[in-house]
Amino acid sequence: MINLAQKDVQHTLGKFLVTAMGVGMLLGIVLIMIGVYRGMIIDAQVLLDDIGADVWVVQEDTLGPFAEASRVHEDLRDTVRVIDGVKSAEALTFQNIQLPQKPSPVRVVAVGFDPFGMVNPVSPKRMVAGRGLMRSHYEMVVTDKTGYHVGDVIRLLRHDYHVVGVTHGTVSSGGEPLIYVSLKDAQELQFSYSNNRIRTDRARGIEGAEGHMVNAIVARVKPGYSIDEVAKNIETTLHKGVFTATQERTLLTQNLIKMASKQIGMFTGILVIVSTIIIALIIYTMTLEKIKEIAIMKLVGIPNSMIVKMIAQETLLLGVLAFIFANLFSHLIYSKFPKRVVLEIPDAWMLFGVVIVASLLASLAGIKKVISADPQAAIGG
Amino acid sequence: MATEAGIRVENLYKHFGKRDTLVRVIEGASFEVNKGELVALIAPSGAGKTTLLMMIGCVEEPTSGTIWLGDEKVYEDKWLTKEQRKIRREKIGFIFQAHYLIPFLNVIENVTLVPQTNGVSEQEANKIAMELLEYFDIGDKAKAMPSALSGGQNQRVAIARALANKPQIILADEPTAALDSKRSVDVVKMLKKIAIEQNVAVIMVTHDEAMLPLCDRILKIEDKKVVSENVSVQEKIL
Ligand SMILES: Nc1ncnc2c1ncn2[C@@H]1O[C@H](COP(=O)(O)OP(=O)(O)O)[C@@H](O)[C@H]1O
Ligand SMILES: [Mg+2]
Repeated sequence: MINLAQKDVQHTLGKFLVTAMGVGMLLGIVLIMIGVYRGMIIDAQVLLDDIGADVWVVQEDTLGPFAEASRVHEDLRDTVRVIDGVKSAEALTFQNIQLPQKPSPVRVVAVGFDPFGMVNPVSPKRMVAGRGLMRSHYEMVVTDKTGYHVGDVIRLLRHDYHVVGVTHGTVSSGGEPLIYVSLKDAQELQFSYSNNRIRTDRARGIEGAEGHMVNAIVARVKPGYSIDEVAKNIETTLHKGVFTATQERTLLTQNLIKMASKQIGMFTGILVIVSTIIIALIIYTMTLEKIKEIAIMKLVGIPNSMIVKMIAQETLLLGVLAFIFANLFSHLIYSKFPKRVVLEIPDAWMLFGVVIVASLLASLAGIKKVISADPQAAIGG
Repeated sequence: MATEAGIRVENLYKHFGKRDTLVRVIEGASFEVNKGELVALIAPSGAGKTTLLMMIGCVEEPTSGTIWLGDEKVYEDKWLTKEQRKIRREKIGFIFQAHYLIPFLNVIENVTLVPQTNGVSEQEANKIAMELLEYFDIGDKAKAMPSALSGGQNQRVAIARALANKPQIILADEPTAALDSKRSVDVVKMLKKIAIEQNVAVIMVTHDEAMLPLCDRILKIEDKKVVSENVSVQEKIL
């Protein structure tokens, strides 16, 4: 049996492919947007995973240190260490700073930790050059996105920092590149003020009062102890904000998922609707262009089902081709985006389902035209 | 040659519109066309020739009356089957002034589309189509697209298409209007030959008096009715 759709598409192949490509690009953007969303969720957890703590202790009544500002005294670390079930505890700082020209200033999040402590946020599997921090001052590990290399010297405040290591793929929960410095350096960067401020503070007698503040204490739990129970124990003993790693993960992702999924969902929905309208318009005009032939087919006795099948198959083919172009397009460009884009196969299949449904909807206008076409219209007069 | 009726029309009426816009086109037409017979249908423009063909062809619904196609009564004040299209593709061959070939199908696909829809195998349909195309001297164009053929060649493809389903009836609406006189004579002779060889009832609408002597009989629409006239001896000689 002659496949009318195939013959018609062959006849207008160029136009058909160009349309599929155009719609494919729109759908490709849909894939990229979903990828950005997936990337955000992964980014949100990178640092959390690298730190690998069981319990997070933060300023009371805050959701710190990522969701809200949190400040606790460095000494809290020693108090946490002696609580039953705690294997180790370390102090961490997190702060936004700006690295100077390279070639333009980069905003980064600096993670401060004790290079000689039990927690090393610089995951060895993410190191791509150099080494971790080995001195308590003026060394820095940077992520490759900052553009710095091992051996570079970066001046921050009054000191030169030597880049000793480079990581790949490390970002803050907000997706900004990370750098790592020693806790002491971080405290200095966070709490040093201008000479002027130091003088006035000194005059008020509050000199250096903030110098020993950190943003969070992280702890690991001894084997055999329940993380939840140890966390509860810390909370009742110290009256601080305490979160298990699981709770911290939920904190980091749930807000993101709530906000970003709505945002991305809206964009995606609009793009899918636009794509559907474009497919519908193209199929409709392609149907109008053939309306005379369709009338003749009806006149000589070709059943509606065959003609409707032709329209539906063409629309589906357009949808499938657009979907293929969408995947090619998104895979070609996703790595060029500044933030992490994660293209996942299930997302692509979901889009495929949406495209098929959208194509079938898009064919309706053309099909309606086919059914209502008057067989005598072609020979009219 | 069998002389039973290929088409029988009794007391056929066709009105378009209602009340103020009512147009009475055919009022009580009765006539027959025998199998193996080529009849010309003539009347002034707007008299209802196309409308009459479309009613016989189960495309346009009459207002009342009876239509027989062969031994099947297809209409008696209403369609007697829901599937007029099945009757069309199985029993009728349509030819028009323009070829109306489907531009995205090549010549042989255009010819085999209807037979294949009727369930004839692709192989068998192709065989019949090739015979027809060769008969019309365009066998070498079987794989060509209609856009690559001349008007006369396309019209021959269109006639081959009308014959490919082995119709009992051929309805030709001004098939020669777009052709020069030599080609016109060829086409009408061809229709006559088909009528005889395949025992088909052929009605051909024409405005060209030169074609009348080639036909067996003339049907005229007069006073919204159909009257039959023999082709006069003079016309035959002409
Ligand atoms: N769908 C229609 N609605 C109303 N009037 C129509 C319609 N089709 C044909 N007619 C009228 O019927 C008459 C016969 O038309 P037609 O059969 O095309 O004539 P012919 O083929 O003899 O030139 C004309 O007056 C035409 O205006
Ligand atoms: Mg007419």
